[in-house]
Amino acid sequence: MDAWDTQTLVILSVVDIALLIAGLAFYLFVVGGQLKKIATNLEECAGLVRTIKGNAEVIAPDVEHINRTGGVVAGALPLLYGMAEGIVAGATYAPDDTPRPPAKPASGRRRSRLHDAVGYHVSDEADKAPVAG
Amino acid sequence: MGTTHLALTPAQHDLWVGAIIGGVVIVVAVAALLTILVVLVRRIDKRVVMVRDSLKAAAANTSDTALIGETAKRVDAVLAEGLKHHLFLGRVLDKVRA
Repeated sequence: MDAWDTQTLVILSVVDIALLIAGLAFYLFVVGGQLKKIATNLEECAGLVRTIKGNAEVIAPDVEHINRTGGVVAGALPLLYGMAEGIVAGATYAPDDTPRPPAKPASGRRRSRLHDAVGYHVSDEADKAPVAG
Repeated sequence: MGTTHLALTPAQHDLWVGAIIGGVVIVVAVAALLTILVVLVRRIDKRVVMVRDSLKAAAANTSDTALIGETAKRVDAVLAEGLKHHLFLGRVLDKVRA
């Protein structure tokens, strides 16, 4: 066993330890940079989540309000158009559709006042006329 | 400057060599594990970027929700106008019936 072997062993040991430390440092540096980038992105994500939460908080109460009001409007519309139909039915002219009976001839004897003027009465003549049979 | 020579027994020499070889193996293993760690952290970074982009899109989609309140006010106005129509039609209907 000579001294060179011992010196080589020492150098190899130092190199081994140096490699371990350098490797650890390099990887920790790389991972540290990546984690820093991830932390920045996550911070931005947290801000975005807060923004979305603020935007979404107004949705539920306002939509509930719209639904309630829309329900009232939808429930009132049949009443409105029922009233409108009543107005239209009351204001529209309704002709009498019953069929007219045929025209009747004027019944009875036509009277002439000329006979009355001269003192002639047809009823008197009819009373004096002889009865046939 | 004098050089000190260590007197090692063959067993001590073999142990030292074994320790050096073990150290190299450990260095390689640590490098491999840290490489895996870097790859996984890079994947996490990509997924976080995807999450951030999705959140940006969601924030853009929900940026107009303030208009819902305005819509609710307009719907209330429709209801108020409908009530006026109701009163008007009620008056007209009474006149028509009369």
